[in-house]
Parts: sequence; structure tokens; C-alpha cells
Amino acid sequence: MGTVYRLALRQLTGKWRLIIMTVLAALPVIIAGIMITSPNAPTVQEFEVGVLGAMLSGSIAPLVVLAIAAAAFANEVEDRTLANLVLSPLPRWQIAIPKLLATITVAAPFIAVSAFATTYIAFLGDMKAVVAVTVASIIGVALYSAAFIFLGLVTTYAIGIGLLYIVVWEGFFSGFVTGVRLLSIRHYTIALMHGLDPRRLGYLEPPSLLTVSIISAIVFVGFAYASVRRLKTMDVP
Amino acid sequence: MIDTASAVIKVDRVSRWFGSVVAVSDVSFDIGPGITGLLGPNGAGKTTLLRVMTGLAETSSGTVTMFGEPVRDNPPLYRRIGVMSEHETVYDFMTGRQFVKMMGQVRKVPNIEKAADHAIGLVELADAQHRPMRTYSRGMRQRMRLAATLVHDPEVLILDEPLNGADPRQRVHFKRLLQQLAQSGRTIVLSSHILEEVEELADTVLLIINGKLAASGEFRAIRAALNQRPYHVRVIADSPRALASMAVNLPSVDAVHIDPDGGVVILSRNVLDLQMELPRLAQSGSISLRRVEPLDDSLESVFGYLVES
Repeated sequence: MGTVYRLALRQLTGKWRLIIMTVLAALPVIIAGIMITSPNAPTVQEFEVGVLGAMLSGSIAPLVVLAIAAAAFANEVEDRTLANLVLSPLPRWQIAIPKLLATITVAAPFIAVSAFATTYIAFLGDMKAVVAVTVASIIGVALYSAAFIFLGLVTTYAIGIGLLYIVVWEGFFSGFVTGVRLLSIRHYTIALMHGLDPRRLGYLEPPSLLTVSIISAIVFVGFAYASVRRLKTMDVP
Repeated sequence: MIDTASAVIKVDRVSRWFGSVVAVSDVSFDIGPGITGLLGPNGAGKTTLLRVMTGLAETSSGTVTMFGEPVRDNPPLYRRIGVMSEHETVYDFMTGRQFVKMMGQVRKVPNIEKAADHAIGLVELADAQHRPMRTYSRGMRQRMRLAATLVHDPEVLILDEPLNGADPRQRVHFKRLLQQLAQSGRTIVLSSHILEEVEELADTVLLIINGKLAASGEFRAIRAALNQRPYHVRVIADSPRALASMAVNLPSVDAVHIDPDGGVVILSRNVLDLQMELPRLAQSGSISLRRVEPLDDSLESVFGYLVES
């Protein structure tokens, strides 16, 4: 398992990918800095909904994860190196899970630092809020990773379909259709932020911490299991 | 083709189709120890068949077993198999040695350093093993890929077009290595679209055309049939009618006709003799030969002939 994990880490940390992720992760921090120094500073509610809910959880986190997770399998399918691993005696879960963990390992620090710095700046060092947003964001990264890893195994157009998912599903439908929120990783992240710091994001009426924890666990395990299944049954080029 | 009891690989009525395209159609054969050549023109279905045989792709119907076990979704079986695909992509960021070691580690090779030394030594790339693979020539990449395929000392080797990109010296070395491996009892399946390549290496041949097993057996028997094959040779000369009337009497010529463009088309079962007799004939009749070209020397036509025969 360690060999596949180390291989995946190396594959996912290309220079350009890291630069793009750094730029993306820096955006909420920069915006938070501009907001608090602006004479027309937004209200706390506007900041929470706009920056934490929409930007960090609904755009930056999924984009960063997509840039990494799509490469975890889709690149190997495309350049046909996946056969090197599949034609080994490793059980399929020992290929899929290390790649999932490597994706989280690479993506989580970017989002964690971004969430930490953004919240610290905006809430002037309110550590309860900072911890809540950071922890929730890391869990969001894990959920997005599981989903996008699976996507990379079912299509070679993972980036395109992933972008559509982020814009249409997470960005549009989950913002307007209440029922969709139960199927939205962005809203799980928001619910976790609220659950860990009940002062935050309450106006979005998120589900309880227990409910969202159970749903998150099911989503993570479900996508991880689906990835392992897919790796067992797919034709490997 | 071989005694069923000694078969290592059994392919039983295997078909594979993609939508309406049939890539492999109802193919059955057994393969035992030694080198077996999987021969066929490009697009014949060799790679699809190899992918099915290694479990990388599912069969649409039929079964493939190796050592009596199904190959599909059977990871433990891959301890005994080494597969080198036709795709030359490698992990560019790795050195050759790192690549071989990584392949050994995922195959649970116990003494990885020693195994890597041995495998890299077999392909004679010890000097280049610490260089990044992105700096390798195509032939070197192929050899290091072969080392990675051999690092766990597999009993079965499945090699898809392994000589692609190899220079003549590398080819000689590669062939010698495969022969040594075969002599040590391994089962080697080698695909190629180059007849001579397979001829030099393989004891037995599976001939795949249009997804079907067109012929199988010892290469010598197939080659004997090939030598009986009639060749069409087209000759452009300044006096085609005179050449045709004289050529029909040559012992090496079976038939002659003049095509609509004025070329003389000669049918011969003995091209070597024809090559010597034709210039003499032209000289004796004061006929200028402008061009002599084989009409059916493509691999497809060779395979086509074997199928018909």
C-alpha cells in the first residue's frame, strides 16, 4: 500500500499543479483581507455565506481537489500506466485507497491553510470559528476527493464533468433547491462548520452535526467502495 | 496445438466486441511452455486478445484461464505473470532502477535490491539505471520495461510488440534473453506484426486475422506453406507484349498477363529464380526494364494467403 501511496504522491505533486492550487487557495485569504480593510466591509452573514459557504466550500475546495483527484486515476488511464498497478497481486482496494489518501494528503493542506487564514483574518482570531471552519473544510476535501477519485475511474473527461458538477450542482442547484442540499458536499461542509461552531452559518438551516456526520461517512465510504468496485470491473487500457 | 494437460494458458471460445465492432471472435487455443508467437497484421485483434488473456479486459463471451485459474479479477495470479504492454509510457520522474524496484515492490518481491540488480543486469542497463527514464531512448525504455516485467521472476511472460523501438543490437540481445527464459521452462507469449521477428523466436505461432484465429501450429509448417505462395510481380518495360511472350516460357513463371496500364503482371511460385531470369531475358530480347515491383508483398497479403491455404 505504501508503494502506491508514495507513487501517487509523486504523481500528484507536479510543479504546475502545485502552483495552480496555491493560487486558488490564496484567493479566499486575499478576499478576506480586502473585505475587512474595505470601508464597505460586508456583514458577518454576507462573509459567511459568500466567502465560507460559496467560495471556500463550494468553489475553491472542489476545484483544488478536482485538479488533484482527477489526475490520480484519469491520467494513468489516459497514459496507460494504470496497468502497471492493476497487473500486480495487490487487491484492488490497496490501489484505490492509497490513491484516495494521497489525494487528501496533497489537497488538504492547501485548503486547511486557506480556511484557517481566511477565518482568522475575517473573525479577528476567533479560534473556535477558525477551528470549526478548518476542520469542516478538511472533511469537505476528503468527501470531494472520494467523489472525484470515482469520477476519474468512470470517465476520461473527469475534469470537464467535475467542473460542470461544481458549477451546476454545487454552485447553482444546491443554492436554490432545498432538497438538493442533502446531496451536496458543499452543504455538508457548511453544516459541519455550523455544527462545530453553532454561531456560524445558522441562517442556511443546515442539518444537525450528527446527521451530517452520518451522511458524510456514508458518502465517503460509498464513493471509496464504488472506486474499488469500479477498479475490479473496468477494462484497463 | 499442444497437449491440453501441459497447457499453462487456456483460451476457450473467447470473443470480445465493442458495440458493433467484433475485435476477437470465438478464439480457442492452449499455450504451453516455450515461446508462442501471436502474429497478425495491425488491427487484427492481437492487443485485444492479449488484454483479455491478462485479465485487463473482460471477455464478451468465453473464458481464459492460467494455471487452471481465471485471469480476470484474480490479483494473486499476477505473482506468476509478467506483462509488458505495447504502450511505452513510463513514469518519467523515476530513474530506471526506481521503476524496476517499484514494480517489484507492488509484486511483493522479498529481496528487492537483489531482484532489481538481477533484472536490470538481464537487460544490460546497469550503467543507465540511475538516470531518469525521461532521458532514455525508446529502445532503452523498452529494455527497462522488460526488466520491470521480469523483476518478480514470473513463470508466464506476455509481451505485446516488445521489439518496437529496439535497434538491431538490442533485438539480438532481446531475442537471446527470451530464448534463455524459454529454455528455463517459462511460458512466453509474444505478439508481433512482423513475420520474421516471430519466425526467429517462436516455436509455435497463433495467426490472428480480423479477430479470428486463422492458423496455429509450428512455425515451420506455416513457413513451408508460405514458401509455396504464388507472387504477383508487375514489370514495366518498353515492349510489354514481347516481354510477356518470352516470360511465359520461363520455368519460374506460372502465368503472365498485361494489365490495362500496359504493365506485365507475372505470377510466380519461385521469385528467387525469377529475379535472376528476368534481367537475362530482357537482355536477350533487347527489352528495357523500367520497373519491377511486387504486387502482393504486404503482410496482409501474406496472411491472406496463409488463411486461404
